[in-house]
Amino acid sequence: MSKEGISAYLTPAQMSKLNRLALNSRYVVEGTLAGRHRSAQKGASTEFADHRSYMPGDDLKRIDWKVLGRTDKYYIRRYQDETNLRVYLLVDRSGSMGYTSAEHPTKFNYACTLAAALGYVVLKSRDAVGMYIYGEKMDAALPCKNSFNELNNALKILQGYKPAQGTAGADVMHQIAESINRRAMVIIISDLLDDQPEIIKAVAHFRKNLHDVIVFHTLDPVELNLDLKRGAEFEDLETGERMIADPRAMAKEYKDLMGQFIEDYRKACSEMKVDYRLVKTDEPVDTFVRAYLEERKRLSR
Amino acid sequence: MLVFANPAFLWALTAAAIPLMLHMFQRRRTVVTPFPTLRFLKAAQKRSSSRVRFENFLLWLLRTLLLLMIGFAFALPVLRSTTGGSWLSRTRRDVAIVIDASYSMNYELDRGKIFAICKDAAVSIVNGLFAGDRVCVYVAADTPIPVIEKPTTEHATVVQAIQALACQHGSSKLDEAVALALHTLEQQDGRREREVYILTDGQALAWQGFRDAPPEAAARGDDRARITREQRDKVSFFALLAGALQPDNACPTDVKVSPALMLAGQTARLNVRVGRTGAAKHVTVAVDIAGQERGRRSISTDADTEATVDFVLSGLEPGTHVATVTTPQDALPEDDTFQFLIRVRKQLPVLIAGPQDATRYLKAALAPGAADESVKQAEAAEIAQIDLRDYQALFLCDAFPLDGQTVLRVEEYAKNGGVVVVFPGYRAEAGAYTELKILPAFPASTVDIPVELAARPLKRIPNQEGQVVTFSLPLPPGTVPTVALKRVMTLGELQEGSAVLVTAGDDQPFMAGRAVGRGRVFLFTVGANRDWSTFPLTAFFLPVVHQLIRQGAGASVQPPHLTLGAHLPVNEAVPNYRDDDAISMPSGLPLAIKDNGNRTFFIDTLPEPGIYTRAKAGAAEPEPVLAVNTDRFESRLTPAGSDELAEWTGFKKWLTASDPEELLRLIDEHRNGRSLAEIFLWLALLFALLEWWIANRALRAQTGATEKMKVDLAGKVVTS
Repeated sequence: MSKEGISAYLTPAQMSKLNRLALNSRYVVEGTLAGRHRSAQKGASTEFADHRSYMPGDDLKRIDWKVLGRTDKYYIRRYQDETNLRVYLLVDRSGSMGYTSAEHPTKFNYACTLAAALGYVVLKSRDAVGMYIYGEKMDAALPCKNSFNELNNALKILQGYKPAQGTAGADVMHQIAESINRRAMVIIISDLLDDQPEIIKAVAHFRKNLHDVIVFHTLDPVELNLDLKRGAEFEDLETGERMIADPRAMAKEYKDLMGQFIEDYRKACSEMKVDYRLVKTDEPVDTFVRAYLEERKRLSR
Repeated sequence: MLVFANPAFLWALTAAAIPLMLHMFQRRRTVVTPFPTLRFLKAAQKRSSSRVRFENFLLWLLRTLLLLMIGFAFALPVLRSTTGGSWLSRTRRDVAIVIDASYSMNYELDRGKIFAICKDAAVSIVNGLFAGDRVCVYVAADTPIPVIEKPTTEHATVVQAIQALACQHGSSKLDEAVALALHTLEQQDGRREREVYILTDGQALAWQGFRDAPPEAAARGDDRARITREQRDKVSFFALLAGALQPDNACPTDVKVSPALMLAGQTARLNVRVGRTGAAKHVTVAVDIAGQERGRRSISTDADTEATVDFVLSGLEPGTHVATVTTPQDALPEDDTFQFLIRVRKQLPVLIAGPQDATRYLKAALAPGAADESVKQAEAAEIAQIDLRDYQALFLCDAFPLDGQTVLRVEEYAKNGGVVVVFPGYRAEAGAYTELKILPAFPASTVDIPVELAARPLKRIPNQEGQVVTFSLPLPPGTVPTVALKRVMTLGELQEGSAVLVTAGDDQPFMAGRAVGRGRVFLFTVGANRDWSTFPLTAFFLPVVHQLIRQGAGASVQPPHLTLGAHLPVNEAVPNYRDDDAISMPSGLPLAIKDNGNRTFFIDTLPEPGIYTRAKAGAAEPEPVLAVNTDRFESRLTPAGSDELAEWTGFKKWLTASDPEELLRLIDEHRNGRSLAEIFLWLALLFALLEWWIANRALRAQTGATEKMKVDLAGKVVTS
């Protein structure tokens, strides 16, 4: 009997390594439940936010008597509201995500595993996780829930998908950006092999809506270094186009181009204050997630 | 001309098409490989296409060349330089071997003397000839020596002749020997390959003749001494330059002894010149006299230059001393010793011929003591019976007329280095003096001087440039010698080589001199007694006479040493030679002395260095008369390079080797051709390495994109 849901992607040992980790947002978010993330709203917490002039109907308990004593005016003390985090995982299943060099998983499989690991970490922190799956179009939109069963179901749905033929990543991302109506965390897991300016515009759309965006640029090592020994007829996984080339002869130029492609994304994300990470499919997912979250935690202090 | 010893393998050259075929075959057998996107591949291919095309072309070219080189190598290509040698080098040939026999060929190398090495090489060359090949042998010395003059096919005889060769004592002129060898080859009938082998030590000196006479100039003149342009172009020349690349030699090259005339009790000064070939070095020079060391000094010599060192010798007894200057023994011992003679005289014996009244003053002046044996007085008629060689000077005082025999003896005596001083007298008219042909001028008449014109100051005529006979009597400052003349002899026209040395007054010649052979003849215009003038009574009579004796004696001094040579006038080498003297060479053999017909003797040749001795008729012991040395010009061992020699000689087919093995290899390559298989294999290896390097350049460790961008474990990209 084949495994389903989260157990299809993560082993108990891996889940154990992820148990004590947490994914924190760098910005204020708007959740539906009380939680440990800063909210844009003022509410009940112990962290002072600011003062506001008293208005009829305000609770007298919130009047700041010390200020009244000094100024003879009524001010209400307000406190920072704390809410839970809503995390949306955008998993790309475009044709190019189906690529793998011999011994590694396909980029799509790796993206699924990464999504499972992140979803698990989010739920362990009692936050909510939702998922969007897209290829040539929006394939599935799963709302945010803070339930393991919901995550399991989402992963089962994800398991049912295979890489598509083409890609329309930018359009779908714009569509998703419009559909998320409150500040949340958006995690894009994709190889971003699409029209680069359009993809950057789409990411900018998320930032415009004040979402905390993380981009996991998922690439195969061979795709990065073109480390192939023999000449071959290469076939584009999305368009089906073919060309004969000797990878040894063009490796240097290829690497320069690929390096420039990644650098363009990194720069654009840096300008938009988007957390851009390059993920290689030859790295174990749990190791990568653990390293990433620990670094993120360290930087947030 | 390029030929192939194994032409069947030329079919293997078709293998050069294999790389092209493989390339085309590989292009069709591509494997379809899925890839995420072709956009970067296309861009990379566009960027790298020209470079890749060039690399592919280069790889194809290298692989094709590699296979071609291997194919050529197996076909055994052979490069022949002889036009007629295409039929397995069986063309008949005439060969001339020229062996340098200068004494520098005795230079000792690790593997023996150069001359022995060259002889062995010559034997190997002869043994390597085919049965019908003809060979002649010449030795290059001061003059070429034909050993096998006519080319012969009897190779065993030639080998024997070569093995019997001995090194000479002199220099060598390779140009003359080569010209003679070429002339000999030219005289042979039949069209054969002509080869000349020059076996030498590589000393530049031996090739000086080529250098001094460029090919165009040498093309003129005697057939036997010229090398024509055609010969330079068509004949194959092989040279074995077997000498040391940086020869090291030091030797005494010359010795000067002063004063030239040594008398007992005098101190002799030696000026020794030391020649050096090689780097700067300290050289110890020693002087021996009769086997006893009399001095030793160390001098510093610069590289390839000469240096001088002086020695002082005193206490030399009268007699002839054999002296030797030596330098430490080196690789060329022949020139380490330089021999010379130091002749020390007890006194200068003088013969005064004439009647008593004419010779009285002169004898009284020269021999004031009755017991002085150095001055002898005799009648003129007795001269023919006296051995004039025993006297340094002969005074003829009123001795004329002389009989014919006496005139001949006197003339021979003067030519051999004696001094003849003539004072006129009453006994003979002026015409009688013309019998003696060696006089500076023939007397014309005698004139009586009036009393009022008698007092005349003696004036020394300054010596002119180029004047052979000279006179320079130093007088005390302020002294004006004056004589009173009663009667003088007037002189006719001066003979060749003559000069008036002293005048009485402004225009009256008082004394004239003439150089005759190696001797001197002086003629006074006054008598030797007081009948003609007061000259014998003056204070300067004796100094004048003494100077004449000494000056003449200095002119007749024999040189302390000679160099090997030929056709040397005997009176220049041997003092007072007479035809009944027996002169022996150092080896004990008699020295050949020839008469040219009018009693002028000359030495045909001085063939060996060393001390030559003379045995006078009736003498008990032979005396050393000649010290002969090799011409040290040959000791300058500076070698010449192959390129320099090619330029000097103008030979077109010119091959040089530094050892016999290399020479034999060159000969073999010249006759049989040079195999190029090894070169082709080396080229194949070179192409293989280049192909491997270019083909694997792309596979070499390149920095990966992620390493270049510094991607950390958490996926963070830190580009520089």
